[in-house]
Amino acid sequence: MAHLIELFRTRLALRTAAIILLMVALLGAGFLVLAVEIRADSEQRAQYTRIEELLSTVERTTQIACFLGDRELAGEVADGLLVNRIVREVRIIRQTGDVLADARSEQGRTGPAISRAVYSPFEQAQPLCRIALIPDQQRIDDAVFEASRFLAVALLLQLAGVGLCVVLVVVHFVTRPITGISHRLSRLEAETGHKLQAPRGNQHDEIGQLVASVNAMIDHLVSSLSEERRLRLEREVEERRYRTIFDSVEAGIFELDGEGRIVVANPAFRRLFRLAEECDPVRRRVALTELAGDGGPSIEELVHHSEPGRARQWELALGSGTLRRWISILLNRLEEGRLQGVAHDITERKMATDAAERLAITDPLTGLGNRLGMERRLAVIARHHRLYPERPHALVVLDFDHFKHVNDTWGHQAGDRVLEHVAALLTTLVGQRDYLARQGGDEFVMVLEGQGQRDQVAALLARFIELLADPIELDEEVRIRMGASIGVAILGLDTEDVQEALHFADQAMYRAKRAGRNNWRFHQTTSELSG
Amino acid sequence: MTRFRHFIAAALLVTGGLAHADIAVVTNANSGIAQMSRSDVINIFMGRYRKLPNGELALPIDLAPVKARFYQALVDKNLAEINSWWARLVFSGQASPPHQAETTAQAISLVVHNPSALGYVDTHHLTSELHVVLVLHE
Repeated sequence: MAHLIELFRTRLALRTAAIILLMVALLGAGFLVLAVEIRADSEQRAQYTRIEELLSTVERTTQIACFLGDRELAGEVADGLLVNRIVREVRIIRQTGDVLADARSEQGRTGPAISRAVYSPFEQAQPLCRIALIPDQQRIDDAVFEASRFLAVALLLQLAGVGLCVVLVVVHFVTRPITGISHRLSRLEAETGHKLQAPRGNQHDEIGQLVASVNAMIDHLVSSLSEERRLRLEREVEERRYRTIFDSVEAGIFELDGEGRIVVANPAFRRLFRLAEECDPVRRRVALTELAGDGGPSIEELVHHSEPGRARQWELALGSGTLRRWISILLNRLEEGRLQGVAHDITERKMATDAAERLAITDPLTGLGNRLGMERRLAVIARHHRLYPERPHALVVLDFDHFKHVNDTWGHQAGDRVLEHVAALLTTLVGQRDYLARQGGDEFVMVLEGQGQRDQVAALLARFIELLADPIELDEEVRIRMGASIGVAILGLDTEDVQEALHFADQAMYRAKRAGRNNWRFHQTTSELSG
Repeated sequence: MTRFRHFIAAALLVTGGLAHADIAVVTNANSGIAQMSRSDVINIFMGRYRKLPNGELALPIDLAPVKARFYQALVDKNLAEINSWWARLVFSGQASPPHQAETTAQAISLVVHNPSALGYVDTHHLTSELHVVLVLHE
């Protein structure tokens, strides 16, 4: 049984035939029932017609028997009728109720009686008796059954024939071509450009279409395969190119994971961070913060650097002193939990920039700040003062007395020598955080950061005047003594504005000049002055 | 009653004479039978019953010259059929055919001398000794 089911599952022809046979059988059964019904009906009628004919045949004899009331003759008639096997019983009964004949056979079943009046042979209108013939239903049924069985057998044979034909047709026209295609398909070497051949005679039908579709699909697959291969080759070339760049480029290239640890690093990176040859940052998972130290990106910055496409830059110093090197790190987010970085050695650039910066704000003669440096410093102080208004700063403006005379008498070199000397003096006097600048010519400006005590400022200035009193040796013969007029204003006490404070200090310096030079004056309001 | 019978006989004679000669079924005048129906006559002549309505054993008499006309008028059958009928009955032993009279006189004589006789004659040959029980028109 399981074998049969398996066979049905795997054989299209069998399944088709079975389904068609089932349908034909159902239809056939319907037709058979109908045919048997009709046949039975007609057979029944045929039997009854036969009985009627029998009755007609014996009519005259029956008439005589009835006319004469002859029991023997009537019995003869009845026996004669009983010879027919479809007749089970014959009764001839006179009008008076007198039974002339009653003959029956023992087998069979009783069917519905057929009764007929028997008239006098001489007077047509005078009924003499009735003859009743009871057929053998069993016989009739047998005859009907016989006829039906013939029909059934014929139909069954037809059914078997149809089934066989269907199987043959399906095998020949459907199953075999499909099996052939399947075999050829499994042996097909599609990549060599071979095509599947449709079975002979099927080129233009549905099987041919199937083959055409399969060929189209093979074409499509082959072309997409070769495209895929080409892309892979391209990618390999690309990879090699990238690898070459990665290994030989001067810039350090590296990748970080989500916790800021190095995943990949190229040789340049190792050189930059002085990683030992045997130290494999990839295997040990060194954190970038560990290598970079201060100034580099913090772990938080790394972890939260999550805007893709936006680079972020840090500049950090490694080592100290003359070995100090500057490295710039540019980080880009590749994807979630993966950062790509480029590191450059920017030591030289950094140093050049710093030197240029310094040069721009330095007075080349004295090494103090110049006007630009002063302005920058004042801007810083102004910003600082806005943030911390309670902290005063002293601004001191210093101008030499008769400096032009020095220049005119002993030349500019002498003037320069004086300026250098004074600058050195001032440098020794002020603190680390104070700022000194030569404004141009012989005018100096000091910013005493955090200084609001006038007496302390006065003490400092007194010491300066005192030091300045020592003669300055120009050469072996010439020694000159310089004096200076000094004005002081205190930002935070006299004014809140830096430029105004400078202006006040300037005014105070001129007052000192007018008051006889070589002394200092604090800023005073107009009322203080008049008082 | 006798008078009336005579009148009918006379009437029959007149009409029969004028058109065709009818056939009269006759009995002995003393038979006591007034009339008979056609069926009664058929039953006796065709061998079904053997007795007259009066209970006497019937003696049917065929008259050769009129026989064909008589059966034709009575049961609408020719002589061949009648012979065949009797042949069948005789064969089965059920009954015997009527007595045969060759001439009318012979038939009349048989009826006159036999009270249970039942015969037929052409109405032309009716005599007063005969009693007509049925007239068959042709």
